Amino acid sequence: MTGDQTPQPAGDSGTPEAGEGWTALAYLIGGLAVWGFIGWLVDQWLETDGLATGIGFLLGGAGGVYLVIRRLGTPR
Amino acid sequence: MIGQSVVLAEGEVPFPPSVEDFFLPSIYPWGEHNSYWITKFTVLVWLGVAATIIFFLVTYRNPKLVPTKKQWIAESIYGFVRNNIAVDMIGHRGVAFAPYLTTLFVFIFVNNLWQIIPFVQISPMAHIAFPAILAIISYVMFIYVGIRHHGFGKFFKHSLMPPAPLFMQPLLIPIELFSTFIARPVSLALRLFANLFAGHIILLVFTLGGFVLINADSLFLKPISVLSWAVSIAITFLEALVIVLQAYIFTVLTASYVQGALADEH
Repeated sequence: MTGDQTPQPAGDSGTPEAGEGWTALAYLIGGLAVWGFIGWLVDQWLETDGLATGIGFLLGGAGGVYLVIRRLGTPR
Repeated sequence: MIGQSVVLAEGEVPFPPSVEDFFLPSIYPWGEHNSYWITKFTVLVWLGVAATIIFFLVTYRNPKLVPTKKQWIAESIYGFVRNNIAVDMIGHRGVAFAPYLTTLFVFIFVNNLWQIIPFVQISPMAHIAFPAILAIISYVMFIYVGIRHHGFGKFFKHSLMPPAPLFMQPLLIPIELFSTFIARPVSLALRLFANLFAGHIILLVFTLGGFVLINADSLFLKPISVLSWAVSIAITFLEALVIVLQAYIFTVLTASYVQGALADEH
């Protein structure tokens, strides 16, 4: 019953990917949500009939994708 | 319990299940619905914590170099969290977090376990309060650890400013703020809560649905109740997977947030 003494296989380290999936999802949704909301606020303020919300969603989506690439894509 | 089943088989079945089914009458004061000092969930958490403490005390009271079977189980649980979560995710500094992560893992697992124990079949984690407090603890911890490691200004600069050109920062900082300091604790709590809430609802649907079917007027519908109960047993096995998975995910994500807070700049 000393089974736990066996050395762990060295190859399977680097599991942070488990957390990275959720991080990527949070960036993508967060980008849309945050900038969509800011766009909507601008919309209410300037009465642009949804134009600002649309621009906000585009910016937020792009920002989210960009963040995923910068934070998770490039090898460190 | 059998008496209750007979009542269900003859009388009115509370169907479909609703959120009200999660707010059971209080134990102290007995039967109250507007004063909850001690509830079934309070008792379940106490029992779970007591069982955990007793288990680890008994298995570790007299540790042997060549472990007994019980000691081996306890050591395997700790070893699993320490090696496969703490050290794998955080690195050599992770050993310092292994006790907390193991406590977190075991606490969530034991409380989730109530979900599939016959005649209990509801987990305290199906109430948002318990996962929310756990998420707040993890949230405060990873921020505290980050500030202690980097210093206040450097930690927030590190976690809010991604490696990107300066003109991109106004676009990216709000997203970082949202995903790191708002989405993390919320998703941590909601993921655990929603899984156990939904699991209990599904069990209720198929168990009570069986009684609805057996009470049905049509003769063809009555035998289908057996199918409904069979599905609820199958769902219980699925829940067995879910409760382990959710305890694991909560622990892994906490470790990953700590890892992110401790990571050095590049």
